[in-house]
Order: sequence, then structure tokens, then C-alpha cells
Amino acid sequence: MIDIIRFLREYNGPSMRLMEVCGTHTAEISHSGIPRMLSKQIKLISGPGCPVCVTVTDYIDKLVELSKTPDTVVASFGDLLRVPGSRESLSDAKGDGARVHMLYSPMDLLTLAKEHPETRYVFAAVGFETTAPAYALLISQALEQGIDNLQVLTSLKTMPPVIDWVCKNAGNIDGFLAPGHVSVVTGSKIFENLSEKYKIPFVVAGFEPQQLMDAIYALVKRRGKAGVFNLYPSVVTKEGNLQAQQLVQKYFEPCDAAWRGMGTLPDSGLVLRKEYARFDAGSRGLNQDHESNPNCRCAEVLMGKISPHGCPLFGRACTPQSPQGACMVSAEGSCFQYLTNHRED
Amino acid sequence: MCVAMPGKVVKLEGTVATVDFSGNTVRAEAGLVKVKPGDYVLVHAGIILQVLTQTDRDAIVELLEEMDQL
Repeated sequence: MIDIIRFLREYNGPSMRLMEVCGTHTAEISHSGIPRMLSKQIKLISGPGCPVCVTVTDYIDKLVELSKTPDTVVASFGDLLRVPGSRESLSDAKGDGARVHMLYSPMDLLTLAKEHPETRYVFAAVGFETTAPAYALLISQALEQGIDNLQVLTSLKTMPPVIDWVCKNAGNIDGFLAPGHVSVVTGSKIFENLSEKYKIPFVVAGFEPQQLMDAIYALVKRRGKAGVFNLYPSVVTKEGNLQAQQLVQKYFEPCDAAWRGMGTLPDSGLVLRKEYARFDAGSRGLNQDHESNPNCRCAEVLMGKISPHGCPLFGRACTPQSPQGACMVSAEGSCFQYLTNHRED
Repeated sequence: MCVAMPGKVVKLEGTVATVDFSGNTVRAEAGLVKVKPGDYVLVHAGIILQVLTQTDRDAIVELLEEMDQL
């Protein structure tokens, strides 16, 4: 039996920078104290894996505007509410009387929309490939049930283009912990081209500490070699959930998407197809980003260029109680996780 | 945001499943994957994304050991 813990603690080979691109991985790695169990030669870096954190202020501003529009209610997952826009957050707007609801599932909007036909409901459709099928299912059922007072404002993003961008621009990444729940939908195959292109390993990982340690071990062992390995086979296959993929393709098409700190990346997002545009509350062209605090360095944190400790606001002006940037708002944000778990560099 | 939780399907009505998470039950859409009562499933944002299959830790260890020898 391999002693993975000992191997990773005593590793003294070439230094390695391994990136996770899933907010839930960031959270689990931080909670479980894994970084402290690794040799100093192995550095884990949080990449752009938290959808809320990579959302630009134009998008938040549009949601705030919609929430203040008569007869309109904005519905959202909880972690988006406190993300600062260029002037205010959805939570601020709600405090001023705007109509903002927090929902557990986009599907809950169907019931609300049926019960209140006089109100327009807009769901803040943020997320990666994992969440896109939920929005596709929402539109599908709205059509089926003849509900026309329901829309989405999308900021949907896809993983391969941003990983490509990180490899090109942030550089020096020796391997990726591939996002487990994105892979449930897409299949592990979506990382094959990137692995070949950059000659680095990708390991699809689960979320238990043992699964994460296994994945880190695999990345270290496969240093400098291409290959995609699925270490989360209980739910991930090479092909993914084909039905979910088909439903997403039916309602959405690729689009250029703006990522906080990285700019607009070609074909890195999803937007409703033109034939379903009546369900779109104005998602196209929301590309500008204006940090509310000029000293906020969320952008560099998201690219893996600095750790949260490199930001002058971290733990001082910027805390979970008073977040200055999105990475401190979301429970999956790097800054939130580093601060609340006392994670070191 | 991509948090997903495993739970057990205890009831299925059309495409709506009742899923038990350690005693806490929620309704989840089962339109994206075939499920039946008794299945363990992965739920994200109120949607069942996948049925869990039983995996053997030994299979993972075997794969890691192969890497060791490469």
C-alpha cells in the first residue's frame, strides 16, 4: 500500500504549482488543512473556480437595476447577494426596498411565476457547466407549462477556455485538480486537449480529504506528462451526462464572456439562443468590470498570480463582514477560505 | 457554487424525486437522469445530476500504484 500522506509530506523533488479550479475544492482543501500536510515543494493555488468571484460588476449592476424595476423580482442563490457592484450589491438594493428573493433552486421560480402572473421573475443565472443544465431545465419547463413571466440574466461560463487562458498567461502550472462536479456533466474528456497542449496532467478529483490527497499524489507522480485521470469514478465518466449536455446545447450557445481580472475570453460563456431570447433579461454585452475598492486585488488572486495574503486589504479592510471584493464574499472564494481557515501561503 | 450533495431517492413522482440527505428530505428534479427509489444520487441546485455508482477504493489504489511504476 502506498503511503500517500508520507510521500506528499516528504517529497523533495522539483517544486510544483498545482491549481484547483473549483470553489468547492478550494473550500475542502482549506477546511481539511491539506496545504499543511504537504511538502514545501508542493504549492496549491486557487484558480478561477468560483463563479460568483469571476462575475464582473456590469452583471451585478444589471441585476440591481432589474430589482428596482416595477413589477420585477430578482431571484438568486444566496452567495451572489453580497457581491459588490460598481455602486451597490443586490443585498444593498434589497435593503433599500428592491425586490430580491433568495432561492435554493432555479426550479422554484416556476411555482412563484405561476402564482404571481402579474410579476416578472428574473433568475440570476450564474455558474459553470455544473449549473447550466438547471437553467436549461427551467426554460424547458417554462415553455412546457406556458409560463411567460420568467426570465434569466445569464453569466454562465465554461471551464476549458479559462484554463487555457491561465496556462498561457499565468504560467508555471504543473497540473490541475480538475473540477469534480463540472466533470459530472461534461465528462473528463473535456480536459484532454488542454492536457496534450500543455503537457501537464489533469486529475478529476472528489471532495473528501482522502480523494484530494489521492489526486495531488497523482499529479505529483505524473509531473511533466500529459494525461487525464478520473479519480472520482462514482459520478464522473469520460463522456459525462449526455442528456444534460444535449439540453444545454438546445437552449444555449457559446458566447464571449467577461471574467473578472482576465477580460473577455472568446467562447468562454453560454447565452440563450436567439430563438429563446424572450427568456433573456438582457445578458449580452455585460462585459465591464469596475472594482469598488481600487486596492482590491481579487483579479490577481483569481489568476493565481498572488495568494490572498498578497492583497493589502486582506483581513484588514476586507473581511467576510465587510467584503471589498467577490473573493471574500462567496463561501467558495479564495480570500474567504484563506481567512476563515487561517490558511497560509 | 458547484456544491453537490449525495442523497438517497425515497420517492419518485413523474420527474420529481424526494431525496433524503441524512434525514432531511428535499424535492429534486430527476429530468436529467433515470433514477428509481433506493438510488443514491448527486443533487445540485435542486437537480439530480447523476446516479452514484459503487466504487471500490482498491481500484483507485491500483491506479495510483500503476502511476508509481510509470
